[in-house]
Amino acid sequence: MYPRWGKQSMKLSKVLGSVGVVSAAALALVACGKSGNSNGDAAKEASKFPAATPKKPVKRGGSVSIALETDTPFTGIFSDELSTTATDSSVAAPAEESLFDTDDHYKINDKGAATMKLDRKAKTVTITVKKGVKWSDGQQVNAKDLEYPYEILANKKTQAQRYDSTLEDIEGMKEYHEGKAKTISGIEMPDGEKGRTIVIHFKELKPGMYYSGNGYFWESAAPYHYLKDVPFNKLQSSDEIRKRPLYFGPFKVQKLVRGQSVTYVPNKYYWRGKPKLDKIVISVVNPNSATQAIKSHKFDIAGVLNSQWEQVKDTKKINFVAQVPLAYSYLGFKLGKWDAAKGENVMDKNSKMNNKALRQAIGYAMNLDAVNKRYNHGLSFRVNTLIPKGFGDYHDNSIKGFNYNLKKASQLLDKAGYKKKGKWRVQPNGKPLNIKLLAATGSAIQEPIIQNYIQQWKKIGLNVSLTGGRLAEQNSFFDKIQNDAKNVDMFMAAWSLASEPSQGSMYGKTSPMNYERFVTPENTELLEEMDSQKSFNHQYRVNVFHKWQKYMYDEAFVVPMNNSYSITALNNKITGYSTKPSQNNNGHQLWYQVGYAK
Amino acid sequence: MWKTILRRLLIMIPQLIILSLLVFLLAKMMPGDPFSGSINPNTDPKQIEALRRAAGLYDPWYVQYFRWVGNLFHGDLGTSYIQHVPVTSLIADRASNTFWLSLLTTILTYSIAIPLGITSGRHQDQWQDTSVRIFNYITLATPGFVFYILGLWLFGFTLGWFPISGSVSASASGFWGVLGSRIYHMILPAILYALITTTGTVQYLRTGIVDNKVEDYVRTARSKGVPENIVFHKHILRNSLLPIAAFLGNTITGLLSGSMIIESVFSYPGMGKLFLDSIGQRDYTTLTALILIFGILTLIGNLLSDIIMSIIDPRIRIQ
Repeated sequence: MYPRWGKQSMKLSKVLGSVGVVSAAALALVACGKSGNSNGDAAKEASKFPAATPKKPVKRGGSVSIALETDTPFTGIFSDELSTTATDSSVAAPAEESLFDTDDHYKINDKGAATMKLDRKAKTVTITVKKGVKWSDGQQVNAKDLEYPYEILANKKTQAQRYDSTLEDIEGMKEYHEGKAKTISGIEMPDGEKGRTIVIHFKELKPGMYYSGNGYFWESAAPYHYLKDVPFNKLQSSDEIRKRPLYFGPFKVQKLVRGQSVTYVPNKYYWRGKPKLDKIVISVVNPNSATQAIKSHKFDIAGVLNSQWEQVKDTKKINFVAQVPLAYSYLGFKLGKWDAAKGENVMDKNSKMNNKALRQAIGYAMNLDAVNKRYNHGLSFRVNTLIPKGFGDYHDNSIKGFNYNLKKASQLLDKAGYKKKGKWRVQPNGKPLNIKLLAATGSAIQEPIIQNYIQQWKKIGLNVSLTGGRLAEQNSFFDKIQNDAKNVDMFMAAWSLASEPSQGSMYGKTSPMNYERFVTPENTELLEEMDSQKSFNHQYRVNVFHKWQKYMYDEAFVVPMNNSYSITALNNKITGYSTKPSQNNNGHQLWYQVGYAK
Repeated sequence: MWKTILRRLLIMIPQLIILSLLVFLLAKMMPGDPFSGSINPNTDPKQIEALRRAAGLYDPWYVQYFRWVGNLFHGDLGTSYIQHVPVTSLIADRASNTFWLSLLTTILTYSIAIPLGITSGRHQDQWQDTSVRIFNYITLATPGFVFYILGLWLFGFTLGWFPISGSVSASASGFWGVLGSRIYHMILPAILYALITTTGTVQYLRTGIVDNKVEDYVRTARSKGVPENIVFHKHILRNSLLPIAAFLGNTITGLLSGSMIIESVFSYPGMGKLFLDSIGQRDYTTLTALILIFGILTLIGNLLSDIIMSIIDPRIRIQ
């Protein structure tokens, strides 16, 4: 599920701040948002902002300066295979292009630099790059360039973080990764290295392969002719990757100041046509200065920190465009432990939170809408299910979610035997019930929001307190969640999702990222069914997703909380900029068509 | 005196060993590691585990420690877990940024503080002195980050006189262009930083002058008919500069350690910012290297101060 991470929400300011979709870490804290309306309908909300700049005739020329809001200098690993942060993806965006374009629900189509064909009988995926797709040095992108990323990913010497056992579905991948084979036997180049086609042999084809971000095959090319002389163990720090990268996107790097700024000029060999702009400059700005950066018009494009919306919303000569990213914040319940020896999650029948009535009651007692209204300027909204609207059919509209309802919450607890003893409720077995909540520090509003929820839970007689008595620092937050620390009964976190909707890697039995450690035969079956051969039938797969969402809603092992707009401020003379997936190349802005209005 | 210096240098060795051990262990004791932040739905936890193992993070601490020390002796500070470049090159990059910023700051600090201190001491309890003291109380009471952000807002954003972040503009080219742009980027942070770090120097100097004015040797000089100007510059001022000289060693080595706050506010890629970032990102290699460097700098700074003092003040010459 990786190549797309952090890209589909390709705002040039991935900075945490508002949404809890954090740059270097997808698991982040929650920072809610508001949606004044009660049903939290994402589509309705999205109409508040346009998804693209107004269409106007474009003139040639001009330069655009972009603020990259981050509080650490960017790493600047200009390689899709090796880079690990969303900031780096943002920095590389004008030059980098993915092989495939998608429709609005991330299904791969034929409009991009390459086409993809599945052959279920032969169990192959054939990728052909279009003629005329050239690197910025004028060389045609060829078959070897399509194959080379797999070597970069799988060769242990490169230390690529993005190697994934999912890739081992490719024949011969594992052998290559372990150093037992010199080449990846499952990747074939029928017309030779100089051809334009590779055929990838899989052990099994999966329905998710039609979608971008699926992780079964790679969606970028690497310039073999340019990188071949760099030894794998030097690749990450080589000048070819860090100083003078080569891409086939609309722009190429002209100048790079390490960690601070990148200047781009048009790639004259760009296959879609000549870019309108003469220059793009991306420079780092401290998030504290983001608002001023927008208000003072020092930049033509800058991301908006949702927490500072009130200060920027009335700025003149600015257009705002927004996108609802594939992301959500959630409340998760710790129901077991990760068994490292077996490599699987083991649910603990006796764990405190192992009672769905209790979990549902906790969900119903959260006044998410009120919090969003009070704290988030209408930029966040409640989500009802774990499959965001952006996934189209797969999203189940009928899930009602946990509408704030204290009465219902109390009834659920009464029925389940959580009786009140004095001020607080006790467990059905009579033992006291103290629930420890783990939440990470974040923006200034994090503390009052969490305290508010604790007050709500108090109203239904639940004694909830923070793990360690306060909000946890980010690193220690990760540490506690990943290692199933004691004193954590539930936690608030957020996920930024890949654009292929399968859920196995997040909630599966063998996934260490299933931090809830929720494992049931039903859940396992549904998750497996999402990727089964039967699911090649779209309607069947959609049904499985809906079933899983109902199951998830009923079991309430996770309470979905909020999602927020990802807003970008643009100079109002800029046109051709869009956040729609179908108007982007796999999350990359189509920079060649962005320009100034005549 | 050479013996003393040699002895001091030898004492530094056990100090550094203890420092390095502490640094190393404390870094390891922080929750999380460089990889824990990279876990997301798009990375395979197995691969992360494999990388942790390959990086030796699962070895016992003493194995890791001695491996680190062993590499130190080869001049190898390791490779940054986050930046994926050798720590030496990373630090060299940042140290030069910090050095120039600090140098400018120090020059500005002294050129503001010394005249103010002299004025204040010379005109004790007159209006000049009162104004300087008010200025001093304000700078002492203003928290750095508030002052910097205010300055950034006023001169960077509102008036637009100075750049708001970074150490060099993306469009600068050519030797002079880059040099000019670098200096332009340093001016605002350096002035702001200098303005509120003058407090100590002004105060020491003022007190020194006030105290020395009534010393016997001053009275003697005056009674011998030495002109007032010479009395002041030769007798009073020189002796009053001693406390400032006492800090000179640390000021010199401090040129390399940078300031976390000003560098963060201005997104200025220097040593202080690097230090802060590497803590947040658990970039052990960079972090331990930096603390070690800071430690060495402090020790050397103290030694330098002592040497300077013994040169200019014969009374405390070390035996």
